[in-house]
Amino acid sequence: MLQYITKRVLIFIPTLLVISFIMFMLGVYAPGDPVETILARQQGESGLSVRNIADEAAYMSVRHKLGLDLPLFYFSITNSTSSDTLYRIPKADVRESMAHIAFINGSWPNVARYYSALKQFESELNYLRTDSLCQEDIIAAKKNVNELYVNYDQSKIASIFSNLTSILNGKCKVLQPLSSKFVALKNTELFIVDHQSSYAKFIPAIHWYGFRNQYHHWLVNFLRGNFGFSYQDMRPVSSIIWDAMKWTLGISFASVMLAYFIAIPLGVKAATTKGSKKERATTTGLFMLYSLPNFWIATILIIFFCGGDWFSWFPAPGAAPIPADAPFQYHITQGIYRLILPLICWTYTSLAFISRQMRGGMLNTLGQDYIRTARAKGLPEERVVWKHALRNSLLPVITLFANVFPLLLSGSVVIEEIFSIPGMGQVSYNALIANDYPVVFANTMFAALLTLGGTLIADILYAVADPRISYSKTIA
Amino acid sequence: MRESGYNIFGGAAKKKVSETMINEVLSPEGYWKMVFRQLRKNKIATYSLRFILFLAILSTFADLLANEKPLVCEYNKHLYFPVCKSYFVSAGITEWPAELQNVEWKELNYQWAIFPPVPYLPQNIDEANVHSVGPFDKQPVKSLRWRHWLGTDELGHDIFAAMIYGTRIAMLVGVFSMGIATLIGLILGLLAGYFGDNRLKVSRIRVIFNLLFLAPAVFYAVGIRSYELTEAFTHSFISFLGQCFISLLIFSGVMSIGNILAMPLRRIQFLGKKINIPADIIVSRCIEIIMSIPTLFLIMSVIAIAKPSLMMVMLVIGATAWTGIARFVRAELLRIRELEYIEAAQALGYSQLRTIFRHALPNALSPVLIAVAFGVAGAILTEATLSFLGIGVPADTITWGALLSEARSKPAAWWLAVFPGIAIFITVTVYNLLGEGLSEAMDPRLRK
Repeated sequence: MLQYITKRVLIFIPTLLVISFIMFMLGVYAPGDPVETILARQQGESGLSVRNIADEAAYMSVRHKLGLDLPLFYFSITNSTSSDTLYRIPKADVRESMAHIAFINGSWPNVARYYSALKQFESELNYLRTDSLCQEDIIAAKKNVNELYVNYDQSKIASIFSNLTSILNGKCKVLQPLSSKFVALKNTELFIVDHQSSYAKFIPAIHWYGFRNQYHHWLVNFLRGNFGFSYQDMRPVSSIIWDAMKWTLGISFASVMLAYFIAIPLGVKAATTKGSKKERATTTGLFMLYSLPNFWIATILIIFFCGGDWFSWFPAPGAAPIPADAPFQYHITQGIYRLILPLICWTYTSLAFISRQMRGGMLNTLGQDYIRTARAKGLPEERVVWKHALRNSLLPVITLFANVFPLLLSGSVVIEEIFSIPGMGQVSYNALIANDYPVVFANTMFAALLTLGGTLIADILYAVADPRISYSKTIA
Repeated sequence: MRESGYNIFGGAAKKKVSETMINEVLSPEGYWKMVFRQLRKNKIATYSLRFILFLAILSTFADLLANEKPLVCEYNKHLYFPVCKSYFVSAGITEWPAELQNVEWKELNYQWAIFPPVPYLPQNIDEANVHSVGPFDKQPVKSLRWRHWLGTDELGHDIFAAMIYGTRIAMLVGVFSMGIATLIGLILGLLAGYFGDNRLKVSRIRVIFNLLFLAPAVFYAVGIRSYELTEAFTHSFISFLGQCFISLLIFSGVMSIGNILAMPLRRIQFLGKKINIPADIIVSRCIEIIMSIPTLFLIMSVIAIAKPSLMMVMLVIGATAWTGIARFVRAELLRIRELEYIEAAQALGYSQLRTIFRHALPNALSPVLIAVAFGVAGAILTEATLSFLGIGVPADTITWGALLSEARSKPAAWWLAVFPGIAIFITVTVYNLLGEGLSEAMDPRLRK
């Protein structure tokens, strides 16, 4: 048995690696710059211009702390225009546009020279004494420079240059000393275009980075239980997920128990009384229940039973939390009272699913020869059904656990959101709305882990329930 | 497995005859005819099929059923068919006459006009009936003809019109995403089922060359085209598909160079030695990976990084829903490939492709149909859930789920919850019932 479990867990490892890789890549391509998000939060959402020297240093330090200045993966295949010094440019959009210029024109060192000239020009511009007369011109010049940072299109850049030329040659004398820097900037740009090599992008370049890369660090951190920080409140993701998982797992477990508890007798009853009117009604009802969207039922239940214009039998979702100093008994009763509606919505789909399978399995078993034997030797019907038949038709239903569990986790997103239960689903949903990607991806990763765990439990239960199955030889 | 066969009968004509014979022996009546006959005996399934047809008609002719423009009208002594004309206008074939440009269609003084059954568009606002007017409330409308039979929402959109256009989205999602899922599921299920773990044999050199050429193929197809691809993606979905197609062409071009180069080298004994590719294990791992991530979490993660668009939602649902189909096809082909007629086809020297696509696959298709019927139900439900949560689907798209989510902020407006909910429920049930009916019709044990 132990050997089987070990084997099973070993099989999970490649699956988990692939899932982790997918989640990591999704995280990389998520929109927005995490460093800027964090900086914005630290600086109290004030309008920040990262290209100031002090801000740039802060940017680089946060970036280094997050490990985002490392290469992405163990190796990379890029075209030969991309560079190893590109990552030094703060701000993702500037980085992208510079990389794009390099891609079009085929030479990174030239673009790097252009970038540093641009930076020098900007710093000169920033040191200018803001004269009341020239204020507008300076602001316009700064705006144009900002445009230069994020534009890669040749014609666009040329038009910005002509704008700048007209500003510099305008009536404002303060701007005149800048023209030497501006000429230098223009020259670097011209140099890029003149020394264009259009074939460079077609030459692949393969780099090997070894273990010092983002994915490796991310994976190692994940295995150590460090899933990064939430962008929203800088809490460690692990503690967020841990709090949420308690809710989701607790309710899922209760829901699975409830579903099996009702579904098994229901399925057996439906199978033994097959063809009767009552049975047909139950079966149809269960089928309908299976296609009822749970978010609809949840909404309807809230509209009709939680205050509002109809009945107020249950507290509205998101009602005041139970006071911590309340007696234990109050905690329990209030907790159950509040969880009744969510539990109903959470359970009925899997209930319908399980009881339909139970009915099918039972019907199959009741047609077997040994059931006829049991009846022939005069066993009471009760005993035939509940002992001989049930035990044998229970097996496929037990393995259903592996199917029901991911269903419940998926359902948690909707139901927790509707009933405001702070479980994994709601946390994930809120994080998604707030663009808090580390939480979203770590949550998904955990949901996958839990599902794999559920599959394992189902396999073990199967072995426990059926003594014929020996896992020492074969792998399922 | 034999790659280039020999023909024991000799001559192409004989080959043809024997093939048709195989087909005929297999299906004396015609398998699909029989399935359909069985299905028609099942009353519930027949009604479900009819209802699906009804929904399809509803979504096709939504413009004629709910519109602000009249179907036919006479205005300034001219006869117009505004709804039909609007198709041509949007296609750029004709233009509106000056008197009908940017007009409030409902306010015009027609000589006479026939309006659609629901004279409202779901995205337009009826300013007299804002703040969720119920179906039984007093509505300040001109006449009964203009009544909002299913009420309005907070902003004054007509719910009936929204329901009709919501049908269109639901059907589109069901068909499109299951189309993608079927394509992926069929291909992967076929690979896993027909070849299993020990029938896909490829020479060493081809394995090596395929692996070697994979990197440059990806590089030239995706790596250096990433700017074109992202630009096309932000531009429009159609242009993105076009760019993807070009990338695919480049990819297959580079890969086929590798395979062609491998051909002469196959003669060398060491390099030409065939090795086994465990197709079944690889596909089964892929299925396990998709299955082990709870669908909604996976979809949420993917949608997190993309801009909201219906196309994206359908693609993602399709890309996650193929596992059921692949498993069905795999199981079916594992059984079929052991049957004698496949052996006969191989003995007759048919090519691998012909055996697979003309003999093995057609007989494995029936369970796919069941899986597709259930899959459409699931896809519609998933899309409704996503638009209920407000993720993935753009806010201005009119869907049943989006209507339902409005009910949450306004619990007193029960009609916002009840009607779309019933629509989702019935549609999902009908597809499930059809799936159930199909599986009964195809089950040989239940055949009458």
